Amino acid sequence: MNVFAKRTIATLAAALISVTAMAAEPSGADIMQAVYERPQGKDLSGLLTMTLVDARGKERVRSIKQISGNFAAGDKKLMVFQSPADVRGTSFMNWSYDAEGKNDDQWIYLPALKRVKRISSEGRGDSFMGSDFTYDDLGARHPSEDTHKTTGTESVDGESCWVVESVPKDTKNLYSRTVTWVSKEKNVGLKRDYYDKRGTLLKTLQIAKIESLSSVWVIRQTEMKNVQKNTSTRMEFSDVVIDSGIAEDAFSERAMTRGL
Amino acid sequence: MKRYALILTAAILVSAAFATLGAEDGATLHGYGRTKVGALVNDGSYFLTENTLDLRLSYKTGDASFFANPVLYEREGTVALPDLREAYIDFKGDAFDLRVGKQQIIWGKGDGVFITDIVSPKDLSRFLVPDFEELRLAVTGARVDLYLGPNSLELVWLPWFTPSVAPGADTLWAPVLPFPITPTFAASSTPALALENGEYFAKYSFMGEAFDVSLIGGWFWNDTPAYAVTAKTFTPSVGLTALTVRPEYYRTAAAGIAASGALGPFVLRAEGAWYGSKRCQGNPMTYALGYAEKNAVQYLVGADFSVEGFNFGAQFIQDLILEHEAGLIEDAVKNTATFVVAKTFLRDTLTAEIFTYVGLDPLNALIKPKLTWDASDALEFFAGAYIFLGTEGDFGRYDDNDGVYIGAKLSF
Repeated sequence: MNVFAKRTIATLAAALISVTAMAAEPSGADIMQAVYERPQGKDLSGLLTMTLVDARGKERVRSIKQISGNFAAGDKKLMVFQSPADVRGTSFMNWSYDAEGKNDDQWIYLPALKRVKRISSEGRGDSFMGSDFTYDDLGARHPSEDTHKTTGTESVDGESCWVVESVPKDTKNLYSRTVTWVSKEKNVGLKRDYYDKRGTLLKTLQIAKIESLSSVWVIRQTEMKNVQKNTSTRMEFSDVVIDSGIAEDAFSERAMTRGL
Repeated sequence: MKRYALILTAAILVSAAFATLGAEDGATLHGYGRTKVGALVNDGSYFLTENTLDLRLSYKTGDASFFANPVLYEREGTVALPDLREAYIDFKGDAFDLRVGKQQIIWGKGDGVFITDIVSPKDLSRFLVPDFEELRLAVTGARVDLYLGPNSLELVWLPWFTPSVAPGADTLWAPVLPFPITPTFAASSTPALALENGEYFAKYSFMGEAFDVSLIGGWFWNDTPAYAVTAKTFTPSVGLTALTVRPEYYRTAAAGIAASGALGPFVLRAEGAWYGSKRCQGNPMTYALGYAEKNAVQYLVGADFSVEGFNFGAQFIQDLILEHEAGLIEDAVKNTATFVVAKTFLRDTLTAEIFTYVGLDPLNALIKPKLTWDASDALEFFAGAYIFLGTEGDFGRYDDNDGVYIGAKLSF
């Protein structure tokens, strides 16, 4: 789905939500669909700094160059590790598809082996590089994978938000449910709580900084806290460039092996 | 040790100077220092004492870049030896890359198996004990990659022949020679540096939704020599009493295919290659030259999958000698399997992995468990073992070489 179509759908969805709101609260599914369809820009690049904090407060920092783009079949993302030295040059590429139910394609390149290897995308619930984020947490989860309901309206940092509870349809999912505070103005989730399979709060995600670049809301700083293990991961996105014209060919074995 | 410390200090000073240069001129320097100690389980003797300083220097300007990987090895108490693992210049165009110099070229989709991986030779002086990165030898030549969408074509020209390194006859890893008596070796025959002795390789690759595929081909010198009988003495009623052989590198051709794809929770892969006129060693009393030229095929099928954070991989590999004859040393069919299981713990700071080769006829195996702990982003400690099972076969023949090792690596 191209960006124009997404924007159109998002606008229509927002309009639909506004009209519906006059009569009644929008449904949870409508809200999450609007979040999913929010304009993201055709492509995006930047430097991601990930800080892992363990239970004793010790920090480990990873620096990752990242490009992503939205193309006809779906989204493509390429991440190349810049530091620390022992993982420098390692790259990870993900192609996700708009088609419902179609699995992602994923590859990893390890400089020591000098080989790009296709990997299974089934480990979506696994930790991303030892952080408190799973691969699934970082991706754009399709709203059809969960059932949603609106549980009310609350304010987060002065912004009025819908509170949406989402329950995964797949009972094998890592979480039993998530609760998301979605900004009514921006169609962005500003806060999310993740509950484990026993229904106990596991993690909280907080957006610390969000900016509008080229009319696109870009999350610049976020923090995931694991309240059960008392660990956390901060992610900061810098040098962000939107719509620079990244070609689909850039998401290739060439870029994985030779770097960005 | 003092000498090593001096070399290390000098290298760090050079590195610091290079890093300072890098701040302004697009230069970077990374690398690691590593120490490893290993002992045999049987008698506790050290079979591995190794210090390595590995530097990765790169300099980039515009569309051109330079990379060098100088290495200092100190093994088993010997003098620290310098080596240049790679050194090349890259030119990056819109739809092509050109790399000229000494470089490792790795092909194939199998793990720990080299079926379509026909370009870079191997350093097998310590069998399969080193890490795979150190098992590969660089080749010297030019490589051009052409790109068109998801398709790429890689062409390689190697004017300079680089052979594989075999284990020494007086080492733990001495190979079993395919002769009924101990032969006398004549000087080996290696191709001279000449235009007509160049090696040529090509690979077409496609990377796409659901599957990737590569087609490879090559016209090259076999990296491991065949032994040609140059003289033999047969004594009636005693048999063969003297034999002289000459290691010969010979021209061969290969063509193959490698593919991988996702199917539900599995990543499936397959790889196969045909090798033309491979010299198969035979009984010197049956074959005048000591070998017969046969076409051969090697292929694998395998799968990777994850369960509860454990990553599993399994491969079945089959080697076939076509039109096999009874006088040949190798069997017509050889079956091997590999298994790997890996998992990370403690937020990816502790990694456990077991890689296993299993020869199926006769049953023999090499089990390589390894535990790696990242004490910090820069400092890593590791420990592992090499466990050989069986009494014959590719792995069982080293049954007395079971070993354990520990080490530390400091990356910068």
